[in-house]
Amino acid sequence: MTTTCATALDVRYREALIEYLAHPDETRLERAYGLGRRALADGLGVLDMATTHSQALAAVLAVPDNSSTDRAQLAGAVERFFLEAISPFEIAHRSFRDANRELHRLNDVLENQAKRIAYALHAEASQLVASVHLALADVATRLPPEHAEEIQSARGLLDQVEDRIRQISHELRPTILDDLGLAPAIEFLADGISQRWGIPVTVRAAVTGSLPLTVETALYRAAQEGLTNVARHAQATIAELTLSRSPHIVACSVRDDGIGCDPAVLASSNTGRRGLGLIEIRERMAALGGTLRLVPRVPGTEFVVEIPVEASTWA
Amino acid sequence: MAVSILKHSPINHTQVGAAVRVPIQSFADIVMARQECRRMASALGFPNTTLTIMTAAISEVARNIVEHAKEGEISITPIGRGPVRGLQIVARDRGPGIVDLETAMRDGYSTSRSLGIGLPGARRLMDQFEISSVVGQGTTVTMTKWVG
Repeated sequence: MTTTCATALDVRYREALIEYLAHPDETRLERAYGLGRRALADGLGVLDMATTHSQALAAVLAVPDNSSTDRAQLAGAVERFFLEAISPFEIAHRSFRDANRELHRLNDVLENQAKRIAYALHAEASQLVASVHLALADVATRLPPEHAEEIQSARGLLDQVEDRIRQISHELRPTILDDLGLAPAIEFLADGISQRWGIPVTVRAAVTGSLPLTVETALYRAAQEGLTNVARHAQATIAELTLSRSPHIVACSVRDDGIGCDPAVLASSNTGRRGLGLIEIRERMAALGGTLRLVPRVPGTEFVVEIPVEASTWA
Repeated sequence: MAVSILKHSPINHTQVGAAVRVPIQSFADIVMARQECRRMASALGFPNTTLTIMTAAISEVARNIVEHAKEGEISITPIGRGPVRGLQIVARDRGPGIVDLETAMRDGYSTSRSLGIGLPGARRLMDQFEISSVVGQGTTVTMTKWVG
């Protein structure tokens, strides 16, 4: 939006409104619609339009001989003109609402696809690797002992394949989410990290009802990233994870008592491995209309993600 | 062969008043179509905000005729379905027709770019919307708004 653009609109809008009030006909109303349509195309917002309207109205009311006009009639005419001018924004608003709904639907489709691939990898590929293991073990018994090392190294590679499959499958869709549900899955995750890193993690998960798959996965990932960050970098002695919801927001926060961080540094792209994880979470959040914030606390840091959810998804 | 895209499947209704036809050849005719729509919708008891919504839809379909077909007409008919009253707007032109309706009804396709105005915008403003087009023969948009 530029100032010159808004000024030209101000002038044309004021002239059109004054003309409409003098000759309240469809031609002038159509002009209001055209001005709004043009303003929308020029990148102005509905608030710009409202400001332009108020200024024009102030100019109208400043004219002294208006006192003779019926005020109710004037108010009605002004409203009709303003409605015309902002109706193109209503159309745009409806189109964005539709697009957003479409995006959510697409997200769910992708998440379901990821889930199917995750299961296929986990169940089928792992099964095949396991049978190769057995076959190799069988071959090993029939080979001279000098080949034992080669067989062993092949089995080592197979172990790596297995690990990688498990990892990819888990990244696509943590099966634990489907097995346990969100809150228990996050408790399990916190337990694991707590034991591995020796940091006590308190979990408060006051969330019931079902959430869209994408939201669950995003929250799980965020919890994973938040806790891993604490474990790796915060030098904290304790961490607290809270999963909560209000009617329209579901949130996950990870608070620690560690050395703190500089949010500006974390947000920049030049933060190595640690930054990548946060960027991924930020992107996941953005896809769901949510946010990620790193809030400095004394002591420590609070990692907070928030995702808007429709009230009806909470059974 | 005509292709159509429905917003909702059409529901049986009857005409409850005289229809008005407005020839559309220039931008000035758009005003006439809007005026008739406003007058008839107002008589049926549509609230102010809905009148604005409907005239916006008329503007978009009429603009489409002027920009792409050069000439056509808009007919406006008061209709009823049981006790419910509504207004049916049919915009018809003898223009080149639309080759790919699916694409044309997608946002961001036409000059109105990604703003969602144009024909897709008109569809969002009305309760029912149907478009059919025959290449070389023209395009017909039928849309309805119900009171309440």
